[in-house]
Amino acid sequence: MSNTSPQSDDILNSVTGFQEGMARKQQREETGTDKSEFKGKVANDIAKLHPKRLQLEVSQVIEDTASTKTYRLISTAGPLPPFQAGQYINLFVNIDGVETARPYAISSCPTQRDYYDLTVKLVDGGFVTRYLLDEVLAGQQFTATSPMGTFYHNPIFHGEDLVFLAGGSGGAPARSMIESVLNRGLNINFHLIYGNSYESDVIFKDLFRDLAQKHDNFTLTEVISRPTEGYEGLSGHLNADLITSLIGSAEGKTFYICGPTPFNEFCEAQLKTLGVKNKRIRIECNGPPKKPSCLENWPEVVSEEDEVTVKVQGKGEFKAKVGEPLLNSLERNGYFVENACRSGECSLCRVKVIEGEVFNPPEALLRKSDEQFGWVHSCVAFPTTDIEILY
Amino acid sequence: MTDYDAIVIGAGNGGLTAATALQRGGARTLLLERHNIPGGCATSFVRGEFEFEVALHQLSGLGTEKKPFIMRKIFADLGVMDKVEFIEEGELYRILVNDGVNPKLDVTLPASWSGIHKVLKEHFPAQSDSIDKFLKLCADISLESFMGVPRARKQKDEALLKSSCPNYIKYGQQDLKSVLDEFFDDEQIKTVLAAYWCYVGLPPSQINFIDLAVMLYCYGAFKPWHIVGGSQALSSALLESFLEAGGEVRFNCSVDKILTSDSLDKPTAVGVRTEFGEEISSEWVISNASSVLTYGELLDTPTMPKEIQQDFKSREIGTSAFCLYIGLDRTPEELGIKNASTFMCNTMDEELMHDKMSTMDAPVATMLTCYNVDDPSFAPPGKSQVSLLCLQYGEVWDSMAPEDYAQAKYKFADVLIDQAEKIFPGLRDSIEEIEVATPLTMMRYLNTPGGAIYGFRQNAQDSILYRKPYRSVDNLQVVGSWNGVGGFQPTYMAGPAIARIVLKTLKAKKEEVAHV
Repeated sequence: MSNTSPQSDDILNSVTGFQEGMARKQQREETGTDKSEFKGKVANDIAKLHPKRLQLEVSQVIEDTASTKTYRLISTAGPLPPFQAGQYINLFVNIDGVETARPYAISSCPTQRDYYDLTVKLVDGGFVTRYLLDEVLAGQQFTATSPMGTFYHNPIFHGEDLVFLAGGSGGAPARSMIESVLNRGLNINFHLIYGNSYESDVIFKDLFRDLAQKHDNFTLTEVISRPTEGYEGLSGHLNADLITSLIGSAEGKTFYICGPTPFNEFCEAQLKTLGVKNKRIRIECNGPPKKPSCLENWPEVVSEEDEVTVKVQGKGEFKAKVGEPLLNSLERNGYFVENACRSGECSLCRVKVIEGEVFNPPEALLRKSDEQFGWVHSCVAFPTTDIEILY
Repeated sequence: MTDYDAIVIGAGNGGLTAATALQRGGARTLLLERHNIPGGCATSFVRGEFEFEVALHQLSGLGTEKKPFIMRKIFADLGVMDKVEFIEEGELYRILVNDGVNPKLDVTLPASWSGIHKVLKEHFPAQSDSIDKFLKLCADISLESFMGVPRARKQKDEALLKSSCPNYIKYGQQDLKSVLDEFFDDEQIKTVLAAYWCYVGLPPSQINFIDLAVMLYCYGAFKPWHIVGGSQALSSALLESFLEAGGEVRFNCSVDKILTSDSLDKPTAVGVRTEFGEEISSEWVISNASSVLTYGELLDTPTMPKEIQQDFKSREIGTSAFCLYIGLDRTPEELGIKNASTFMCNTMDEELMHDKMSTMDAPVATMLTCYNVDDPSFAPPGKSQVSLLCLQYGEVWDSMAPEDYAQAKYKFADVLIDQAEKIFPGLRDSIEEIEVATPLTMMRYLNTPGGAIYGFRQNAQDSILYRKPYRSVDNLQVVGSWNGVGGFQPTYMAGPAIARIVLKTLKAKKEEVAHV
């Protein structure tokens, strides 16, 4: 059958305009391209902004404080993609044979992309931070996701009057946001209220002080919760009274909160007492709940130490502690599940629960239909009975 | 024996419905999806207290329970009618035109065929007779195209076509602009009636009248619908039905190659290779990726088959969209939003609207959909979910330096919000969550050239009437907007149609084997 004059016997030839249409189509065949110009183009265009993986190498390790180091990461495969100050990358690591990952906010400024800085503060009992701080040296290579996350200044509705309540490691995204505002010369007032436990353990202390001195639109307030004797600065917690005394009215200001989860929850509650609306409070997510059994709707009969069986359909099964996020136990048992935020937000790690029950904390930003069909975000899902999953 | 009877690449509407129909029809089917969730366009994402609908504005083809239409049967056959809930919308759309010259126009078409007549006559009394004639033509030609035309074509009976489809003979392949010009001498009513051109993506001069006639008649007579939980709920329901029937799915797994065998007289698809290097065999491969990707990159033949090159030459890449997903901390009433779909135009010149789609200029036509007007579950109490968008071709974003991208998207978003703010004051101040999607975002999630959302440009000659099914690769089918019509109803219908073909050949082959 010839293709040069298709449908020459088509009954549609009697339809007004059909033959002219066919002629137009054949005319286009003379002038159009075969679309081979798109070969590779879509993948390349996407990869310029959102490569699936980054190939990174530690070019430098900077000791910030006794508990904190900054890892300067360069790309070994093409330019680093742009990001918005405040975003994170999810760093894949292999520790004693366990493939896992942790998200870290980029602490360097997005106006340069020769490197990303990740600033890592030791977490008590932290499996990955301990490894990074103790073992990682310049030259080590990593794979990571490209920058992600929704914690950044959105000029559409955040305004020009910004207050950042940072606790400890929250100084990392704060630095990126501040430098981004200052380096780009934006007409934004930025007030960093930086809470730390000890005077001796304040990340970027000198840098922030220096910037505050040089720039009228950047204000720094340092607050220490466990001051040493003779300390003369502000001490205590970032409560409503303190915030009001520092910023005056909260009206028209947008607040960013980033620190350990208890810090975030405390600050959010304080802002709510000041009448700050949801839209003016942006909180960076910070991992799974440490004590899920203390949360509302936790099934009373189950303790975090109980053991359950997790069956992965068609692949195998293992024992897991109820109090351990499902994603972590999957990883420890050699199952890889795509993931990024590890805080319930991005949904990359969703799995389907076919049998049994899991506990979903409020961190799990599930879709309405997920509940109906049993899909959960494994990074913040706790198996409270024996379960079977599919992914 | 092959690993599977069929491998479906991509869990968009076409892929999901194909896979579900195949598995329910007895074919062992593997569904591969590069993202972490089924749906393609038909998806959602969560920000704060909002779950944002990504793409579905108005589902067509469902009909009411009393007066059901084709999609009820299609969804029932796919096993999802008991898994989803649909909400009827009260209006087709409100259209506002303010070109600064003519009197401002503000017309709301109700979701009722008689109601549309009434409203149009109230606004355009001088066009009363033409309104009746035009709407009757829309209804008649729709019915002819559903019944008479397919029957006559199947029987290859030209006389039957002429006798049973007189309207189709006269208007079936005329462009929309000519037909509107023939019936009306008032520019405003033409703009009101042509508003749905944006669901096709080309201005009235470039699309077939019948495409608009069918949309207007189907939405008018069979209502527009929302899905509770958004289009994601239907995507998830389809996946559930597929799994219940024994289908297998892998997410976060893209396909690198469609493998072919050349032992026969032409290449025959025999399986796929995944991004992880795994080769999986199958009798059939059904691709829900764009046909440009399927034949230009995935297919492992050294060159693209001639027949397909030739076909592609007569096609152009279709439009993408720039879309704002906004959660607002006020109710629709407080914002003055009275109905779900509002078209906002600064001109009556659809050619100009289309020209602007290739630029970064302020758009002269935008759309605002407020989902919780008809379905309160789309937003928390006291709040609203809207999407504010314009159609736009992807090229203007392609050439941008990556570091300029974020600022450019916020700048363009500001333009859309400023425009909408004039009609719905207080919109900007009510923003609680917002996400900006550009054509590059569409490209990232759909993997289509130019971030195209409806496949190739859907001009008259893009229609299947002007094309023959590809024959140069056996056991490979492309399902979805790139091999048919774009939009929700057509892509949901495409899967089962392809599945019927595949199931038939699988059955024939099994019988042949049994015979031997």
